[in-house]
Amino acid sequence: MKPLHALQDSARDEAPSAWLADRRDQGLELFDELPMPTSDEEVWRYVDLDFSLDDLSLPSEPGAPMSDGDYRIESGARAVILDGYVTSATSDEQVVVKQLKDAAPEQLAAAEESAIAVDLDRFAAAHYGFGDDGLLVVAPKGSSSSRPVFIDVQAVTPDTLSLPRILLLAEDQSELSVVVTFRSPEDDTFHVVPHVQALVGDGARLLLTTVQAWGYGTTAIGQQRAVIGRDGFFHHGEAGIGSRLGRLHFSVELAGPGAHSEISGLYFGEDEQVLDYRAFITHKAPHTTSNMFLKGAVEDEAHSVFTGLIRIEEEAQKVNAYQTNRNLVLGDAAGAESVPNLEILANDVKCGHASTVGPLDEEQRYYLMSRGLDRVRSDRLQVRGFFEEALNRMPHSELNDAIRSAVNEKYVRAQEEGRQ
Amino acid sequence: MSTALAVKGLTARVGSIEILKGLDLEVPFGELHVIMGPNGSGKSTLCHVLMGKPGYEVTGSAMVGGTEVLGEPVDKRAQLGVAIAFQYPTAIPGVTLRELLEELADQRTDGADLGARVADAADRLSAGPFLDRSVNGGLSGGEKKRSEIFQLAVLQPRIAVLDEIDSGLDVDAVREVAEAVEAMRNPEIGVLLITHYNRILQYLSPNKVHVMIAGQIVRSGGPELADELEDKGYAGLQAELGLATEEEPVDEGDDFLAGL
Repeated sequence: MKPLHALQDSARDEAPSAWLADRRDQGLELFDELPMPTSDEEVWRYVDLDFSLDDLSLPSEPGAPMSDGDYRIESGARAVILDGYVTSATSDEQVVVKQLKDAAPEQLAAAEESAIAVDLDRFAAAHYGFGDDGLLVVAPKGSSSSRPVFIDVQAVTPDTLSLPRILLLAEDQSELSVVVTFRSPEDDTFHVVPHVQALVGDGARLLLTTVQAWGYGTTAIGQQRAVIGRDGFFHHGEAGIGSRLGRLHFSVELAGPGAHSEISGLYFGEDEQVLDYRAFITHKAPHTTSNMFLKGAVEDEAHSVFTGLIRIEEEAQKVNAYQTNRNLVLGDAAGAESVPNLEILANDVKCGHASTVGPLDEEQRYYLMSRGLDRVRSDRLQVRGFFEEALNRMPHSELNDAIRSAVNEKYVRAQEEGRQ
Repeated sequence: MSTALAVKGLTARVGSIEILKGLDLEVPFGELHVIMGPNGSGKSTLCHVLMGKPGYEVTGSAMVGGTEVLGEPVDKRAQLGVAIAFQYPTAIPGVTLRELLEELADQRTDGADLGARVADAADRLSAGPFLDRSVNGGLSGGEKKRSEIFQLAVLQPRIAVLDEIDSGLDVDAVREVAEAVEAMRNPEIGVLLITHYNRILQYLSPNKVHVMIAGQIVRSGGPELADELEDKGYAGLQAELGLATEEEPVDEGDDFLAGL
């Protein structure tokens, strides 16, 4: 185990790849300078960070992997990241999956375009300062693969900080499909700062599903960034199921004219979970479109936060952007915040948002019970239906059964234990 | 033998507004009765009060097959044999009608029979198109009505109440709906059809017609009462019965009540 505060001198010499070496100094410097975020800052509002990165230790080697999880899918290309170390990477005929240190210079240059800012916050700085090598997934120009790449990210050594890094590169006119699952054992304590960055080239398509199935002792501070080129298409599905504190800061930049992004997702918080989604959608080019559709539920004493900012820059005319966030609050002690924001600098755009927070619908309950269903079953059906709309929009329908059961089981369990 | 529905002295109020003012009504098993009334007479309220929708202060009695249903929760009333085809059925996003009925079959001890009736009624009432779509979601007006009638056919209640099942339908659809209502009739069930217009009556053979005004049944008679109404209009009948028309306090269409 290597505590972060003891690591700073040695980390400098150990950058595993050229890509990282450039950023390592800056990361270390900023890690020193930046304070731990507090809930006084708008982007950390509602979240109580009850730990300091300085006290955490990195695992010196990857631990033993978990057995296959519920979200495993058939795939050709695949990879495993254990405790922040890439332990396996398998390509197939279409898609290249390898460690970052084995990347070609032009691939590194492309990855550069979608890099997560080192000064985003102290977590990003720590990532660049202390993270090991990352995983690079490349769909070469013009290639088309409908089989998803399956990336299994695990934190397995208790009481450690892991810093997994994934770079996705859908080169021009390519088609790439990726499923990432995040897992950790149920009972121990883990801290994880996953970075996922994606570059969608001109005319390329990227389908990405991320499943946060962390154990309930895990604090996951995720950071993601996607940059979409001309006529590119990015469809991201997110399922927030696990973790004690699960935060996802994700930004999508529609950089080329005609780019489109579709973000769909669902999350379910129980017990004392905190799920914190910060979405930043930036339209930088004309004729770009974006649509976000997130649905969440909280029960027990869980708390969820959604803040979404759609920013449309001055030169981004003829833009169409929409975000929807709907929340079910299933318990008196549970809470949900939904804060959509628009920042529009262009003058010829269509932009809107819809946001709701509320309990189960009385009219729906009445209708279902009027057919003879008891209240427990009526409510269960309503919750199921609520998430079905989000599931129908997810990019990888083969995961829907597993996500659907995970979410529904939480509610059924709460009903059976009399918490609902 | 007990009657399908026996309502006595039924009152219902929402806050200070009295909507049903001592309503009496009997529908024997095997019979089809029609309630006609102008907007605001309390027709939809009667449905919701029989079904047990929260939000009403209710007194009086409503027996279904000899069992008092007032005071029971909504699902218990359904189990006792009350079923409503709603005028404005609520959409349940993300839940298909098939899933709803499967959940019901799973709950009920006679689940297998229910499943068989689903198959039978789906075939008979061409319910295929909406069985696998979300409940009342994205359905046309006519499809919603057919979906409601289909559910009643599956549920086999003791008293089936059809609330303005004919409104908003074209002539062909009205005839289809009427045929489905006639097909539902049997000696085990009483059917109560509530309507604003007598258009659907030319396709039905009701045993009785009741006129409801301002929360009461003011006249009952045979099918010829509908024709009389057609001639005189509600206002004419009200005048004849010595009922002041201006007393009608509120238009209590469903939309109004939904907000309460």
